[in-house]
Amino acid sequence: MSIQPLITFKAGQCELDTSRRPYKAKPLPELGYVYLYSEDDLIHFCWRKRDDEATNPELDLVMIPTDGSFLPYDPKSTPQPSAAKTNGRIYSLKFSSSSQRYLFWLQSKSQARNNDPTYLSPRDRKIGDIVHRLLQGEEVDVTDELASVNNTDRRPDVDDDDDDDDETMEDVEGHHNQHEHRGTGSGGAGPGATGGDVREEGENSREGGADGARAAPSSSSAPTDASDAVRNFLESLRGQPGLSGGQQAQGIDKPYPHLSHLLPTSITVAVIDAIAANAPERLDTFLNFLPPAVIVLAGNNPDAFDGKNDPSAQAVEEAKASLSLEAKKSLLKKVLRSPQFHQALGTLTQALRDGGLPSIADALGINVENGGYLSSGGMPLGGGQAVEAFVEGVKKTVKDKK
Amino acid sequence: MSGGWNTIESDAGVFTSLIENLGVKDVQFEELLTLDPSELATLQPLYGVIFLFKYPTDQPYSSASGPQDGTFDHDASQSIFFAAQTIQNACATQALLSVLMNKQQDVDIGSHLSDFREFTIELPPEFRGEALSNSDLIREVHNSFARSTPFADETQQQRSAEAEDVFHFIAYTPVNGVLYELDGLQPAPISHGACTPEEFPTRVVDVLQRRIARYDATEIRFNLLAMCRDLRARAREFGDDELLAREERKRKDWLFENALRRHNFVGFAGEVVKAVVEEKLKEGGEEGYDKWVKEGLERRKAAEKARRAGDGDVEMGG
Repeated sequence: MSIQPLITFKAGQCELDTSRRPYKAKPLPELGYVYLYSEDDLIHFCWRKRDDEATNPELDLVMIPTDGSFLPYDPKSTPQPSAAKTNGRIYSLKFSSSSQRYLFWLQSKSQARNNDPTYLSPRDRKIGDIVHRLLQGEEVDVTDELASVNNTDRRPDVDDDDDDDDETMEDVEGHHNQHEHRGTGSGGAGPGATGGDVREEGENSREGGADGARAAPSSSSAPTDASDAVRNFLESLRGQPGLSGGQQAQGIDKPYPHLSHLLPTSITVAVIDAIAANAPERLDTFLNFLPPAVIVLAGNNPDAFDGKNDPSAQAVEEAKASLSLEAKKSLLKKVLRSPQFHQALGTLTQALRDGGLPSIADALGINVENGGYLSSGGMPLGGGQAVEAFVEGVKKTVKDKK
Repeated sequence: MSGGWNTIESDAGVFTSLIENLGVKDVQFEELLTLDPSELATLQPLYGVIFLFKYPTDQPYSSASGPQDGTFDHDASQSIFFAAQTIQNACATQALLSVLMNKQQDVDIGSHLSDFREFTIELPPEFRGEALSNSDLIREVHNSFARSTPFADETQQQRSAEAEDVFHFIAYTPVNGVLYELDGLQPAPISHGACTPEEFPTRVVDVLQRRIARYDATEIRFNLLAMCRDLRARAREFGDDELLAREERKRKDWLFENALRRHNFVGFAGEVVKAVVEEKLKEGGEEGYDKWVKEGLERRKAAEKARRAGDGDVEMGG
C-alpha cells in the first residue's frame, strides 16, 4: 500500500544541542520533506530525505490527537522583539505528554523582502497552521485551505521562478536574552501549557505568541503585529496551487480543462461512430485496452467468465471474434459512459497535474515537449500546464504519425 | 504496509460479489429505493438491512445513558456476533459480516467464515473487531473490490471535499426473536424489541423512519441495502422465467461493472484522447482543435460553478 500524504513541504531537521545554555538549535543541511498522513484514523508525522520514498521515513511519529503542537518559533510576536535571534524559519513540534521536541527549518525559498530570514510568509504560516490543526485531530481540507492563500494579487517585484529554490541556512539559535519576562506574556499559553518548559532552552521568544499564536495584548508591539500580519498576508500571497512536487514550480495555475471536460460522452461516443464508419478495424485497438472479462461478458458465451478468475485468452479471442461491428460499438460506448471510466479520467488528470506527466506520456508513447519537465530543470510540469502539455503532445504525436 | 484496507463502493453488485468471494452461498444484496415495508417484504427471506449514512451527523450519536432509540443489550454483545469497529475503511465489510455471522442457521456462510465465527465468538467485541481487521482473507477480498488507483503518487494530497465525506455502515437484523441494530461504533448491540423474521420489514422501516426523522432534512444522506436470499433461487423454485432472466441480466451487469472498477484505464484513456484529437484535427484542423480545448474549458468552468452551488456527487467510503 502506498502512502497518500495529507500535506508535504520542504523542511530540514534541526539538532538541538542541550549541552549548554541557552540550548542551541543547529539546522542540519540534509534536504528533506515533512509530511503527514493518516492511517487507521491516526496522523503520522514524518520526515524523510528528499530522495527517499514516502514509505521510508527517517522519522515516523504516530500522533495522538491534541497531543502534539506544531508552532513557529517566531521572535516577532514576542513582547521583546530583540529577545531571540535566528536566521531561519523554524517550527517546533512538541507534545503535551512528554518534553520531547523536534525542530524543523523550512527549506522553501524565503518570501521575505527585507532580507529578514525569519520572516514567515502567509503560506509558511498556513502550512504550519494546517499541520497544527491536523495534529489536533481536525479535518482540514488542505487543498482548499492552501488555495485560500493563493487567490489575491501577487507582488509584482518577485520572480515566480524563485519559488522552488531551496533556502540555505547556517544556524539557528535562541540566545542572549535570558532575563525573566514571565509576567508579560499575558496572552500566551501559560507555563506548562504544552508540557515542556520552553524557557529552559533559552527560547524566550516563544512565550508571548508562539504557543497558540496569540500575541500578548499588553505589549506595545501587538497592534502593529496584527496590521503587519494582514499586510504581509496580502502582499506575499503567491500562486501556489499546491505543494506537491509537480505544482510547486509553476506560479499561478494555468486554467486548462481536465480530461473529463475534454472527453465528455457526447464527443467520445461520436468519435467511436466516426471510426466505425471510416476505419472499423481500429475499434479492435480500443477493445484490446479493456478488461478481458468485459469482452467475454459482451460476447456470445458470457458464462466463460466465472466472476472470479480472469477468463482464458482463448475465451477472450472467441468472444472478440463473435462481436459484430454494432456490438463492438455498443460495448465501447457503454464503457465510455460508465462512471468507472469517468473516475479514471479524473485520476489520470490528477496524476498529470501532480507531476506524473513524464512517466505517463512515456508509457503511452506520447511525445511531450521536453519530456514533460520544466525547461529550467528537473521538475515535472504540474497543474494545468501539465495537462496542456499532455494534450499538445497527443496532437504532435497524432500529426507525426501521418 | 500490507495491512491496509481500501475504501469500497456501497453497491449491491460489489457487496454481493464480495460475500460470494468469501464463500457465502445464495445470498445477494438489493438496493432499496424507498422506505416501504412492502418493497422489503418482496425480498423475503430477508436477512437484514445495511444502512449507510454520512458520518458524523448533525445530531449527537448516543448519550451516556443510552442510544437515541432502543436500548443497549450488553448481554447480547457476547451471545450474538457483534464486533467493535477498529478500522474505518473496513466498516462496510464489517456491517455485512455482522448480519451473516448471526444467520448461520439460515445461510451457508462457507467454511472460512464459519471457522472465523467459531474462533471469534468466544472473544469480547473489541477483539472480534481486531480479529476481523487482521484477517488476511477478508481484507484481500475486500480490497479486491477497491477502485484501481494506478497513480498512488507519494506526494499526492488528499483531494478536495468531494471524495472526503465519511460514511458509516450499520446493520439491522432480527436475531433470536429480537430486532438488533449492530453498530461497531456503539458499545453494545441496540435492541429495538421483539421481532419475528415475518415482522422484520415493518419493524425495521419504523425504526429507520424514526432515525431519519431525527436528522435535519438537508443533512442526512443515506443509502439502504437489503441482504436477502439469491433472487434467482426463488425464480427457479417458482418457475418464474421472467424474473430469472432479469436477475441473470443483473448479475452480468454487476460482473461487468466490477471488472471496470478494477481496471487500470490509463491505456484505454490514452487511445481515446488520441482518437478524439485526431478526429478534431481532421474535422477542423488547428482551429477545430483550439475550439475543442476552449469548449472543454467552458465545461470545466460550468462544472466548477455547479459544484460551488450544490453538493455534487457523493462517493461512498467507510
